[in-house]
Amino acid sequence: MVESIVSTGLAIGCIYALIGITYNVMFSASRVFSFTAGTLGMLGGVLGSLFIARMGMPAAVGFFLALAGGAVLGIVTEIVAVRPVLRSLDQHLYVLSTLALALIIQQFTAIEWSTEPQPFPRLFAIARGGFDQQFWLPMLACAAVIVGLELLYRHTLIGRAFLAIAEDTYAARALGLPERSLRMTSYALAGVIGALAGFAGGEMLLAFFANAPLLTFYGFVPVALGGMGNNRGAVVAGLLLGLFQQTANFLVGGIFASVAVFTVFIIVLLARPEGLAGAALQRRV
Amino acid sequence: MSMTRRQALASAGAAAIAGGLAKPAIAAKDPISVGYLPALTGPSSSTGVGINRGIQLAVQEINAAGGIGGRQIELITRDTQSDPTKAVNGAAELTHGQKVSVVFGPVNSGESLAVVPLLARTNTPQVHPCWVDSLTDPQKYPMCFRNAPTNQQIGGAANRYVVEVLKRKKVAVISDTTGYGTASVNAYVPMLRAKGAEVVYQGNVDAANPDLKPELLRMQSAGAEAIMPWSVNAGFLSRIINTRGDMGWDVPIVGQTTLGSGQTKALLEKPEYWAKVYPNNFRPVCYAPGGKLSDRTSAFLDRLKSAKIDMGDTLLWWIALGYDSPRLIAEAMKAVGTEPEQIVGYLNKLKGFPGVYGDISFAPDRHDGYPDNEIVMVEANSLKDGAFNLAPGYSA
Amino acid sequence: MDTPAAQLRPSRPNVLGSASTFSAALPFLALLVVGVAFPLFGGGYWGVIATRACVYWVLVSGLNLVVGFAGQIAIGWVALLTLGAYTTSVLTAGTVTPALPPYLALAIAAAVGAIFGLIIGLPALRLRTFYFAITTLGFATIVTQVALAWQSVTGGGVGVAGPIFPEPFSSQWGFYYFCFGLAAICTWMTANVAASRFGRALTAIRDAEVAAEASGIAKPALLGAVFMFSGAVAAVAGGLFAALQSYITPDAFTLDLSILFFIAILIGGRGSILGPLLGTILLTVLPEFAAPLVAWSTFLYAVLLLVIVLAIPGGIAEILDFKNRRPIESDRAIIPRPDLIERLLGAPPDAGALTLEQVALSFGGVHAIDGLDLEIRPGQVHGLIGPNGSGKTTTLNVISGYYAQQYGAVRLNGAALPVFARHRRAHMRIARTFQTPRIVGSASVLQNVMIGGTIDGEGTFVESLLSLPRHRRDEVMLRDTAMLALAAVGLERLAAVRADRLQHSELRFTEIARALMLRPAFLLLDEPAAGLSAEEIGRLGALLLAIARAGTGVLLVEHHADLIFDICHHVTVLNLGRMLAAGTPAEIRSHREVVNAYLGG
Repeated sequence: MVESIVSTGLAIGCIYALIGITYNVMFSASRVFSFTAGTLGMLGGVLGSLFIARMGMPAAVGFFLALAGGAVLGIVTEIVAVRPVLRSLDQHLYVLSTLALALIIQQFTAIEWSTEPQPFPRLFAIARGGFDQQFWLPMLACAAVIVGLELLYRHTLIGRAFLAIAEDTYAARALGLPERSLRMTSYALAGVIGALAGFAGGEMLLAFFANAPLLTFYGFVPVALGGMGNNRGAVVAGLLLGLFQQTANFLVGGIFASVAVFTVFIIVLLARPEGLAGAALQRRV
Repeated sequence: MSMTRRQALASAGAAAIAGGLAKPAIAAKDPISVGYLPALTGPSSSTGVGINRGIQLAVQEINAAGGIGGRQIELITRDTQSDPTKAVNGAAELTHGQKVSVVFGPVNSGESLAVVPLLARTNTPQVHPCWVDSLTDPQKYPMCFRNAPTNQQIGGAANRYVVEVLKRKKVAVISDTTGYGTASVNAYVPMLRAKGAEVVYQGNVDAANPDLKPELLRMQSAGAEAIMPWSVNAGFLSRIINTRGDMGWDVPIVGQTTLGSGQTKALLEKPEYWAKVYPNNFRPVCYAPGGKLSDRTSAFLDRLKSAKIDMGDTLLWWIALGYDSPRLIAEAMKAVGTEPEQIVGYLNKLKGFPGVYGDISFAPDRHDGYPDNEIVMVEANSLKDGAFNLAPGYSA
Repeated sequence: MDTPAAQLRPSRPNVLGSASTFSAALPFLALLVVGVAFPLFGGGYWGVIATRACVYWVLVSGLNLVVGFAGQIAIGWVALLTLGAYTTSVLTAGTVTPALPPYLALAIAAAVGAIFGLIIGLPALRLRTFYFAITTLGFATIVTQVALAWQSVTGGGVGVAGPIFPEPFSSQWGFYYFCFGLAAICTWMTANVAASRFGRALTAIRDAEVAAEASGIAKPALLGAVFMFSGAVAAVAGGLFAALQSYITPDAFTLDLSILFFIAILIGGRGSILGPLLGTILLTVLPEFAAPLVAWSTFLYAVLLLVIVLAIPGGIAEILDFKNRRPIESDRAIIPRPDLIERLLGAPPDAGALTLEQVALSFGGVHAIDGLDLEIRPGQVHGLIGPNGSGKTTTLNVISGYYAQQYGAVRLNGAALPVFARHRRAHMRIARTFQTPRIVGSASVLQNVMIGGTIDGEGTFVESLLSLPRHRRDEVMLRDTAMLALAAVGLERLAAVRADRLQHSELRFTEIARALMLRPAFLLLDEPAAGLSAEEIGRLGALLLAIARAGTGVLLVEHHADLIFDICHHVTVLNLGRMLAAGTPAEIRSHREVVNAYLGG
């Protein structure tokens, strides 16, 4: 019982954490949150199932193509839904534009792909049971992303450029950093991470268009609790969320579990709007 | 692939013109409009998609054979998208706007609950295949008929199998959170207790929940000897079957027909997991103990093959039900015409309509047309050419 | 008793004449006529659609105040539809309580809706935009889950029968008229709010929150009222929805509905009543035109939303805004009339001086203000100058309550001013302008100025909803005062023009007019001359002197040394957060250190 809760909880927590990181990477590049993060997760699973199960490609090719699809969607988000509204004074338009884009993709997937969950292929031909690949794949993906981002930010020039843009856009621009291409690349990177989350979690969540609103919400909770732009906080919060959700599932059943998760989320958020690890906002007057 | 309104209109229009050109002195015969409210898209569309294949085939055959008294059937389809709001809009359009003679559908209980009162107010005869018990009421809704079994009948058959044939006394009953699922659990638990069984687990779980292991572990620790799932959601059902297999837990799964659908099969982790899964089904479309199908069913399967209708991802009985329904309506109209009261009067006296899926009979005080004794349990993994073998130990 | 503003009325043409009110009402009257006559030409099917549109509009009209006017991104409002539908149905069914008559059940649902509207909306006061949007989505899911789980009351997945309203509303057209009537009432009420100080205050919170606070607008109380109203009408819409459906199950309350409501407002245009009304009708009716559209309806809505956001953020309302496409004269000059100031400001206030005593404030390691003493006396213009980063704006922000000093005190007439209570400053008649003009771009200049007088209105929110006499008196008073203020600053010819069409200098004077609405005892100006031409600066100076002569104490933070030396009675020079020198302009001009640090040779 406990091992089931722990393995499922950690695995699904890693998926939520990865979506949280997707939100964060987009936020770092543009100071906006995008509703498309959850949709990217959904597409990772759907594209994986489409390429490998339905079109019969080898798993590695399907994997690569699914990630590429995520990158493309990330770039599309930046061009269509974020860049045009960053210019305007009314910054809140980004909520609407990214929401619209996310809905467009979700509805299109529902109608063209399927309204029912479709099977996701088994990636490694290992027998089931015990610590199954559907559990350790998301964990592996999460660990890989964290390590990868660490290396990127600390040891590569482009990574440090990303950090610069996140810290202070004006200063970065004054230093001559190409803000626009860096932002676009950040969004592509976020797209890859989101698609990876959905792909790694495909066996658990199946290829289902309705994963998008699910991941949009549950993937945001780590961001809200861990602090905006704080990837480490997102991972910790994501894992805790996964464990809490599975425990609640076991103790009180599915329906009340989501009520429980949401109530705790709201209470924590109202108590500390900047997140458990975030810094309070200053407002320019 | 459903026939859109435009296509239906076009074919009806062509027929009308052809009639007019051939005999200019006689007025062209108007098509008979039959309203149709399937859920072809949306979360609960698997039933609708299956039924739709049968419906389209039947309408084509009837029209090719000359229609009803020379008049073609025009099927006016409004996809409800599994949404009761759109079902109500669609029903309003069919009755007020298109002025159909009869409505078939909706096929999902949640939508029917909203549409049945509306159709009653507009005096439109309705035939639907939904299972929730309260969806027929000869006093309140005198024009509404059900050509499918009720929840009571289905549950009764399944409960009988678990308690009397498999002799399991401790039962776990689980469903998703749709109207159909909740109604089923609420109805079946008292029925099981009345039979002397002990319901050790009873739950409604969100179908989107990726992990049902906590639920099955709870069932196991409560001592369940059989699992009875009630849902039309293939993802949900497959997760139950898969989790049972992963746990290596040897208990029978007895329940909803969708346990045996091609969609469910596609989502199984291992084909062996499909053993000891016993869904409801209907005797006319199953293999008799000798391994043969009834003549009517064999002929129907041949017709499906020649029309190239796919069965692999759905259930045969859905297609058969869809096939029988327009024929039932057409019989009524051939006999008494298209006036609502006449149709209702005919249906109230209908005895033994020979459907592929079952023989339908109605009475003025009984609008549930499916006979008790044709509901059987089958073995899921005996699926061959769309039909199943009867479950072991199952007789009568 | 003639107010100073009223004396002015005969000699000024009524800029926003009765003709424009009629042309504004015309589309509504047209819709009213079409709606009343609808049964004559629409069949039973379109009757169902029309009834549905009316029901949706009842909800959207209230949500419009939240989303369109207050600018809160409340996406999950279907939660209140669900609550209202179930409350009404369960109360009339008599399964849990004795069966209640439908009207009473509807009224109780409205009360429940008001409470929950408040609960769902209150996080908006603490959370950032995106966070709040996500929480409303979460609420929508929660309510549906509870409806599923609480089987004993809601029937769980099986649902409950909807209410049936008694004669004459039980027939199809009878029920249509019932819903139409409620929709018309909601239109009227929300239009009243839009044209009231509350509606203007909401748009100020949305687009210029900082200025709203400076004008004394208390965000929590106002948003609370709006959320309650919106929740109540949404719940009423829920009861009507349940009656229309005859039977409700949780799966009828889809997220798609929430999206429809939300998008209808944005397609219609924020800050408008007509726009979202047309948007709701459009989105309800659109999928019915072709059967394939039904499946793609949400996709279409989302595409429309994206197009609107990227191309026409003002929505349908912007397209229909013919008035603001007329060109305004290009060689406009701002010619204030200082002689009107005395009439505008009335008798000199009794206030003592506004003093800062040893005020200090640091940001991290930076000493923004480091032990500052300042005294602003009524009737005098006090200049505050210094290099960039010397703490001028920070001082102003401390006085107006946006920052809290860490040491020292800010006193008005001896009594210490509460820290961080920036919206209380207006009640103490302390007004200010901002370094970058904070205005509501989509509102007219007149409406922007009227925002400044919000706290002088006496009518309550409910009185505005119902257009009761006190609300109408407030409107007349505010309008007249605002016109007088605009005349005083020289902008009365632009009163009806949308504010975002104005030039930068005109916006600065608009802000001053808005500040003057408070009849301030103290007026704090943050670099008002920035971006003004030399002529305009001269006129500004004359205006400020007139304001001081009328008894107001003026604090002028400025870079333009000429303006400072021309009009100030006292000047304080800041450097690195400390007072470098203080005295009359003559003294300061020749002060050696000031010349070295700031003025130059």
